[in-house]
Amino acid sequence: MLTLTNLDSFYGRSQALHDVSVTARAGTILAVLGRNGVGKTTLLRSILGLTDRQSGAIRLEGEDLAAQPTYRRAKAGIAYVPQGRMIIPDFTIRENILMGGFAAKGPRAIPEIVPKIFPYLMDNLDRPGGVLSGGQQQQLAIARALAAEPKVLLMDEPTEGIQPNIVEQIEDIIIRLNTELGLTIILVEQNVGFARRAAHDFAMLENGRVVADGAIASLTEETVTRHMAI
Amino acid sequence: MSDIIFIGLSLSSILLLVALGLSITYGAMGVINMAHGELVMIGAYTAVLAGIHLGLNLFFALPLAFVTSGLLGLLIERVLIRRLYGRIIDTLLATWGVAIVLQQLVRLEFGLSFFGIHVEGLGSGLQNMAVPAFLTQPVDIAGFTLQPYRSFIIVVTLLLTGLTWWLMYRTPMGAQVRAIMRNPQIAAACGIDVRRVSALTFAYGSGLAGVAGVLLAGFKTVMPEMGASVVVDGFLVVVVGGVGSLLGTVLAAGILGQINGVVALLSNDIIARAVVFAVVIGLILWRPRGLFSFKSR
Repeated sequence: MLTLTNLDSFYGRSQALHDVSVTARAGTILAVLGRNGVGKTTLLRSILGLTDRQSGAIRLEGEDLAAQPTYRRAKAGIAYVPQGRMIIPDFTIRENILMGGFAAKGPRAIPEIVPKIFPYLMDNLDRPGGVLSGGQQQQLAIARALAAEPKVLLMDEPTEGIQPNIVEQIEDIIIRLNTELGLTIILVEQNVGFARRAAHDFAMLENGRVVADGAIASLTEETVTRHMAI
Repeated sequence: MSDIIFIGLSLSSILLLVALGLSITYGAMGVINMAHGELVMIGAYTAVLAGIHLGLNLFFALPLAFVTSGLLGLLIERVLIRRLYGRIIDTLLATWGVAIVLQQLVRLEFGLSFFGIHVEGLGSGLQNMAVPAFLTQPVDIAGFTLQPYRSFIIVVTLLLTGLTWWLMYRTPMGAQVRAIMRNPQIAAACGIDVRRVSALTFAYGSGLAGVAGVLLAGFKTVMPEMGASVVVDGFLVVVVGGVGSLLGTVLAAGILGQINGVVALLSNDIIARAVVFAVVIGLILWRPRGLFSFKSR
């Protein structure tokens, strides 16, 4: 279980998150919703300590991570699939995956589930990551995060900018990671349909504040229209 | 002609050792370390002092200087540079300050001996490192005069370049350094302790500078100002080779060292420097990011 309590977060002098309190229950998917620029990405980055300054509590299974540097949060069991994938183009696919392993408790290795869900990556381990298509790079970013043997997976718009025929495949894999591996996932999403299909809970952000949250079943169309319609 | 190429190669070697450290620290940490030349100078003085006080020859001076400069580099990183990450111009100014302080400290202690003033324990006169006799006798092999000390420089550089390659591309530590070079935030999010790895990287680069200092001390006068020109040459190599590229650094050091050596023998040192600068300007105009740079892709 990952709990954020009264989290404020800053870039320089500007405050990007105001008093955010949300909980991702163990083994569930929490969808973070909202328009562009309301602080969804900042929320994920704050959980890893990648903003300039923050205050409040971040508890992973009771352990307070708020004062820890980024790498310790990663080692505590939080893995990140960032927006735009951020894989390393001139590292091989193998190197990219193993990079995530620096956060793992045991020796660095390609996770067992990767051959099952991403066979293409396994067949091309020695090719550079930069030659992959957007969807394959997304798979690679997910494989890298899994190599950390995480308890919580932070995913930032995992289907954004990916060719439509791959989108559904990525969505299914996210659901599988949750159901088969029991991973807790915090999913930043613009696609309400997918959020409804995958998530258990939601948190709606507006101007860096949580304006609505609860079970995904309680997410009304009115809330969606008010906070997400453009 | 082969003699000239040989001299060029040994110049290239020293250049490479200096530039390797600079390239790694600039590439991995975005720190422009103006005190790198002073770490070379400290390495040279380590060799001189180890010879006078401990009776240690060149072979012992090399590891000793690596450790001395490395530890000093670690200290500089811990005290100063770690507070300045992400502020590239500030690192330039701050390390320049460190360079001046180090230079003056050494001058206060040893500089007077240039003017024939006796310094306790150091003797008077210009300071040189004693090179073992068997490294000073030229060897004739089939009409080719082999300069043993120059060969020694080249061999040491080859070994250290090989070691650096192995560390960077064959060890987990090197994988962490390369990850940090490309994206420090993602590296941290992958569980890499960026500060610790950066500090060790900085210390390693500083240690290489110390080794370069020892090798320089074998054929150049050891003096407090010796680092200043070395660091400029080092940065030329880094810029031409491409930041963070081992192959680029090796090639650039080779090219610039050879040009320097060949032109210096055909005309003189001043012209050689002018030609080197002209070539560097041309190369930068042609390839602004250097010969090899992963960031340009």
